[in-house]
Amino acid sequence: MKRFILAFIAAYIFIFFWGWLLNGVFFKDVYAQTPNLWRPQSEMMSLFHWIIIGQALIVFAFVMIYASGFAGGGVMAGIRLGVLVEIAAIGMRLGFYAVQPFPGKLIFYGSASGLIEMIIVGAIVGAIYKPAPARTA
Amino acid sequence: MNWKKFFFAFIAAFGFMFLFGFLWYGKLMHGPHQEVPILWRTEADFGNHFSSLVFGHVVMAFFLTLLYARFVPAGGAGVCAMLGILVALIYAGADLITFAVQPLTAKILCGWIAGHLIQFTIAGAMIGAIYKTDSRTTA
Repeated sequence: MKRFILAFIAAYIFIFFWGWLLNGVFFKDVYAQTPNLWRPQSEMMSLFHWIIIGQALIVFAFVMIYASGFAGGGVMAGIRLGVLVEIAAIGMRLGFYAVQPFPGKLIFYGSASGLIEMIIVGAIVGAIYKPAPARTA
Repeated sequence: MNWKKFFFAFIAAFGFMFLFGFLWYGKLMHGPHQEVPILWRTEADFGNHFSSLVFGHVVMAFFLTLLYARFVPAGGAGVCAMLGILVALIYAGADLITFAVQPLTAKILCGWIAGHLIQFTIAGAMIGAIYKTDSRTTA
């Protein structure tokens, strides 16, 4: 349980700052090309708690999946899980691209950065979370 | 890995997710989506991007089937449905973030989260049931 919490906190801190760096700094100009698709800055700030809860939910579910089916495999198992989860998410992103007028550039950058993000999240979780040793009589 | 079962599980997952997506997001949620028309492509533009929707579902179904097969190599509807709930939570987290940055209504947010929970839980159960290892071959 202690390692679960540690893995969750470490992965959450990474995902929070990665999200801020990419969406708040690097992709700012790309987002500015489609202002109609986004809330105004002030409105986003008033809903910021949903971003925090959303990121926490993503990390919690990821660590839960790792702990229930991939634990013991270490960093590589975490990375494999991250890749599987993110490529499935890229599929979802392509679906959104079909229905929302996002620029293709945004989908490409979002998918590439998402893949890097989940590889690192997987590595963090795999390095920190270790299954409890089996008890012997 | 049993590739024959994997292939059938993938086809079933793709068929279900695509059909469910059409009914839930395309038909049932059509009204709520139209409350914010600026967020969506026009019918004609959507038609031009339809291949992305199909390809996106193929990618999603394939990698989710791979995830389920690696998570529970022996398969089983119940265990894979549980994994489906966890996968849905990841997508629900992404929905919450989208709600904070795009002008979605609360009704759309709730519809998307409920849709993901139903979609991934059922898809997981289907994959688990199809991929399940035959005990006679493992004994």
